[in-house]
Order: sequence, then C-alpha cells, then structure tokens
Amino acid sequence: MDLVDLMVEKRFVGQEFLTWLWWKSEERGGSVALANEGDITVSFEKHMLLESGEGESSEKIICTGLQTELQEARTGLQMGKKLEQARIVIGHNSHEYSFTLAGALMEYRNVRLPKTEATENDKSDNSEEVEGMILERIFLFEELIRLVNTLFAMFLKVRLGAQWRDELEKIRHWVAKMAIVV
Amino acid sequence: MSFLKGSASFVRFSVDGTLPESSLDFIAKRVMAFSFKDIDETYDEYSIGWVSILNMFDTQFAFASYIAGDYITLTLRIDERKVSPAILNKFVQKEEERVRLERQVPRLSRSVKVQIKERIRTELMRKSIPIPATFELCWNLSNATLLFFSTNKKIHSVFEDFFKESFGLIIRQQIPYVTAEYLVGEDHLSRLESLTPDIFV
Repeated sequence: MDLVDLMVEKRFVGQEFLTWLWWKSEERGGSVALANEGDITVSFEKHMLLESGEGESSEKIICTGLQTELQEARTGLQMGKKLEQARIVIGHNSHEYSFTLAGALMEYRNVRLPKTEATENDKSDNSEEVEGMILERIFLFEELIRLVNTLFAMFLKVRLGAQWRDELEKIRHWVAKMAIVV
Repeated sequence: MSFLKGSASFVRFSVDGTLPESSLDFIAKRVMAFSFKDIDETYDEYSIGWVSILNMFDTQFAFASYIAGDYITLTLRIDERKVSPAILNKFVQKEEERVRLERQVPRLSRSVKVQIKERIRTELMRKSIPIPATFELCWNLSNATLLFFSTNKKIHSVFEDFFKESFGLIIRQQIPYVTAEYLVGEDHLSRLESLTPDIFV
C-alpha cells in the first residue's frame, strides 16, 4: 500500500495508541514502567480531540478544561470515539516534555522541551555555545521521540500479541467506569 | 514556534537512498547550488532555497555552518509574491471603467477585459512585496531520519520535492503504521499488516 493509502486505512493505529496511553497513564497514577529504564511519568492534560468514523461521516469533539472536568472526552470514549489529539506531559530523569501528539499522522505539535543550561544559550556570541545549544535541542527532541516510540512499541507488543484480549477488557472496564454521575 | 527556541511543531521522515562516498562534500555542493535566491529586487513571483537556521539572510554558510555533529541543520525559505483577489478585482474594475469611458462604449469585449486583467495582475504582482516563510529541518545522517518543522501538508509536499531535487534522496513520512513496521519484530509484521480497528467500549 502506498503512503497515501496507509494514511487513510491505518489511521486508527495512532489513535488506538493514544487511547491506550491515556488508560496506561492512569493505571498506576501517572507512572509507566519502561523496560530497562525504570519509571517515567505520563499525564494527559487539559486539551483533547476525539474522533470517530471516516471521511464524510467523521465526527470530532474537542475538549479543553481542567483534568477533573474532561467529562465530554470520557463520554466521547464511551460512545466509541478514539483519541486523535492530546496534550501530554512526560517526565523522565527530572526533565519534563510537554507536547500535543496528533495520533493519525504522528505529528508533534507545540512541543516544549525542558530548559537546560545549554538550551538557554541562544543569544550567546560564542559560536561554540550556540552550537552546544543546537546540539542540546536536537538531543532533547530525539529523546522525546525515543520515549514516545518506546511507549508505542510497548503498545504494539500488546496489541499484536495474545495479551490484547485481556488488556482490551481492562480498557473497556476503565471506559465504562468513567460514567457521568449526575 | 521553532526548532531553536520556544515551542516547536514537527513531523519525522526517513531518508531513503544512499549519499555518495564523500557525503559532506556532496551536501556542501548541493546546499550551495540550491541556496535561496533573493527576489526583493526582481519581478519573480516565487523563490525557494536553503538558508542558515541562525539567519534567514545567510546563504553563504561560512565554515559549513549547517553541520552540527552528525546532523545537518537547514532552513527552507520560500518567498512568494501574491496579490489578493479582492485587490485584483478592485483595480481591474477601476481600469475597465476608465477604458470604457475613454473609448466611449457601453461595454467592453471579453478579449479586452482579459487583456486588462492580465496587465493589472502583472503590474500589481511587480509592486507587491515577497512574503517570506521559513521551515527548519534537522537531518540525522547517522540514522537517515530527519525532523521537519511544519505540520502543513502542502508545505510537506513542496519540501519533499525540493529535498529530492537538492540531494537526490526520497523522504518518507513516519506515520504510526510506518514507524510500527520498523518497531515490531519479524514475527509480528504479518499481524500488523492485517490489523483492523478494535472497539474500545
């Protein structure tokens, strides 16, 4: 299949990953264990976009608000929608990365990298410091991508393996539990 | 929103194809050959080319300034002269009325109107100031991937073509499925291929 077809036919892959990651981030109160690395923190923030259907019949809802008030998002899940975009904060080695991930095409939007000593050298006259700043920014962008790809690999392993039935049950249970109590 | 400071938006591409043996020399030649040409003092409508990520007016890249470690960092600059349809319409109508009165006719023929529109369009285009747009890229030579700092599909298309023209290499956007092909083991590839959506409720 060529890339254009893949973008349409396999659009759900990134969205399922995001939805799974949201569940995963709440499983242990924000801590997610990465193999060979220990825990990182993953939290979903106050901006989400959910989607269902395809093309002309697609429906989207956008939710922004405080964490405890993301009821529309939770209701959207209950109606079978999946997460298409979410604002996520990842904490790793005392560094915090905040970004919006668009699931369908794996776009990283409005990425805020952690501030380190080297990254603050953009106004320096010293060309070595400027190059250091550039290399540091590159390193941090690649680190973020590495962390997201590690989480994505974890998802794929479960999704394509025998444990998916059980995992899906847990996720369905979590979605159902988020019923609005009016 | 940029690669160097503040918040940034980007997508990832893989770079397919091989660079010639002395890759840095090749890249040096091609960056210079496809560097940005300023059109402020000409009548050109469009210009596209590479500039330095630190300075959009720098097309000299002194001391191969686009190299940082194993990475090539460049900015794609596109300047375009545009005339807004509303402005074009206004001046075309103004000119049509002037010509009509001058010739003392009740209306102008279609061919005259077409000529007027073309003339006015060219005049306005020449007077308009090119609008610049810049997009950074960070090319990891050691693992043949690159980050491109725009999420606009039209710009992606322009970038893919220009990158191929500059370096003879094809880039492929790393959408989740494509990344997944790379991340899963051999044994799961066929399962990935036949994967269909599941219902999460």
